[in-house]
Amino acid sequence: MTTTTGSTASANGSRWNAVLYATLLPAILVLAWQAWAMTLPADTRAPSPARAVAAFVNLVASGELILATAQSLGRVLAGFAFALLAGVGLGVLMGSSRRIRDNLDPIVESFRPIAPMAILPIAILWFGTGTAASLSIVTYAAFFPMLLNTIHGVSRVDRKLVLAAMTMGVPRLRILTKVVVPGALPGVLLGSRLAMGVAWTAIIAAELAVGAKTGAGGTSGGIGQMMFVFFAYSIDLNGIVVCMIVVGVVALLIDRLFRVAEYWLMPWRQ
Amino acid sequence: MNRTTTLQHEADVAAPAAGRRSPMRRLLDSRGFVAVRSFAIFIGLWYLMMLWANPLQLPSPFRVVDALAGLAASGELFRHALLTTSRLAIALVVATALAVPLGFLMGLNRKADALIDPVVELLRPISGIAWIPLGIFIFGVGDTLPVFIMMYVAFFPLLLNTVSGVRHVDQRLVAAARTMGVSRWAMLRQVIVPAALPTMMVGFRLAFAGAWAAVIAAELIGAPSGLGFAIEWYRQLLMSPKVFGFIVMIGIVGYLCDLGLRALQRWLTPWAEGTGLA
Repeated sequence: MTTTTGSTASANGSRWNAVLYATLLPAILVLAWQAWAMTLPADTRAPSPARAVAAFVNLVASGELILATAQSLGRVLAGFAFALLAGVGLGVLMGSSRRIRDNLDPIVESFRPIAPMAILPIAILWFGTGTAASLSIVTYAAFFPMLLNTIHGVSRVDRKLVLAAMTMGVPRLRILTKVVVPGALPGVLLGSRLAMGVAWTAIIAAELAVGAKTGAGGTSGGIGQMMFVFFAYSIDLNGIVVCMIVVGVVALLIDRLFRVAEYWLMPWRQ
Repeated sequence: MNRTTTLQHEADVAAPAAGRRSPMRRLLDSRGFVAVRSFAIFIGLWYLMMLWANPLQLPSPFRVVDALAGLAASGELFRHALLTTSRLAIALVVATALAVPLGFLMGLNRKADALIDPVVELLRPISGIAWIPLGIFIFGVGDTLPVFIMMYVAFFPLLLNTVSGVRHVDQRLVAAARTMGVSRWAMLRQVIVPAALPTMMVGFRLAFAGAWAAVIAAELIGAPSGLGFAIEWYRQLLMSPKVFGFIVMIGIVGYLCDLGLRALQRWLTPWAEGTGLA
């Protein structure tokens, strides 16, 4: 590719420079990690990039990794759906009625500083150690960003639109569904993205802790449970590293997906 | 939040008599009273549910208060709370010491940013909680693990907000200072730090919120003490009132810390009031 014009060549050059810059430090770190791992005795348990890649290939080939990821994602989606229904429903009510909001605010605000994982012991007492316990934690974690951003979105709906609808004698419920909810869409979508991120973190914590605290590894599945099994039974640190990377990649994909959704659903915001 | 934009405002406008209320009515509408009433209803509902539920799963609110009083009297409540908050404080201090200089470097130097940012973006999506199993292998069960997890969680919002705060300093201020021949150090201290501080404080509060959620998980799985450990310990002993008592304590400590951070924010950056960052 030497026959390009001068300007594109320099653009290509700076692009290559940027790529080089971006990969330089990660590459050095991975190489340093590999070099460090190679100085250890051969029977070490310490993870290394090469062995993590081998573990990744094994886990994908056996289908375990994909199944576990799918199980965790399924729980996250189910919990997110509950949180979406409850959060948007309550958020619209609290955002559009000052009286409801004043009455519920103290309760919401006193639950908010209670970390989702603090609910885990209660979830185990109520629902046992299966899917229901981790599902309830995910729902609890996703509920607050959903609720607060919906309230914020509703409170920022253009008043003139509401007044115009009222002037034209539109019934209150119709104003809610036709004016307030579409107007609050930016808040709801932002809340969804944040809620989904929190939910994904919460499911890992929940699966990990349910496994760690009941000792019955592998009963409910999921990627957090898989990490726990690697941690407590087969002591496979490379497997743990693979799980961590998968957790990160899924989190990134979820975030990007919601950003794309925001872009498509609200083109007027760009 | 601007309440005048809510729908209810229209109803208030339609009823101008609202301004002339009796003192009794005003007391009944006051925020404090509404909060107390909401709590009374909440506890009443809890009590009714308790009558029907298994006491192991849902203890009576009075027994929870009783357990809280007992835990407070024996000092156990404060011992665990103090451990958790001191771990939190150490983690936040270390994270700040690492993230703020790095954030200034990345915000001021484009080359450093291009070099370091990819590593940050690669690590950031991996939640702190996913580090817990590996962390137990590296640090063992004890104080270091929760501190490490919290530090990791707190690092990213602090770093990103520092970078964004430094980068979005009003360029007119920088140009004005440069015109007046200000030295590099004075520029940093007198112009860039004050301008970036409000955004950094927002990052600090986000860092606290993330760390607070993560520490409970870290202590629950990999520490022999602290609030997260305590709830799980009493769950295994099936002492539900104490479990609920500690959960209430987690809420109280989290709330107080947030209140303290808000006060710190107002005290450190009074000029951020009303810019949407406060």
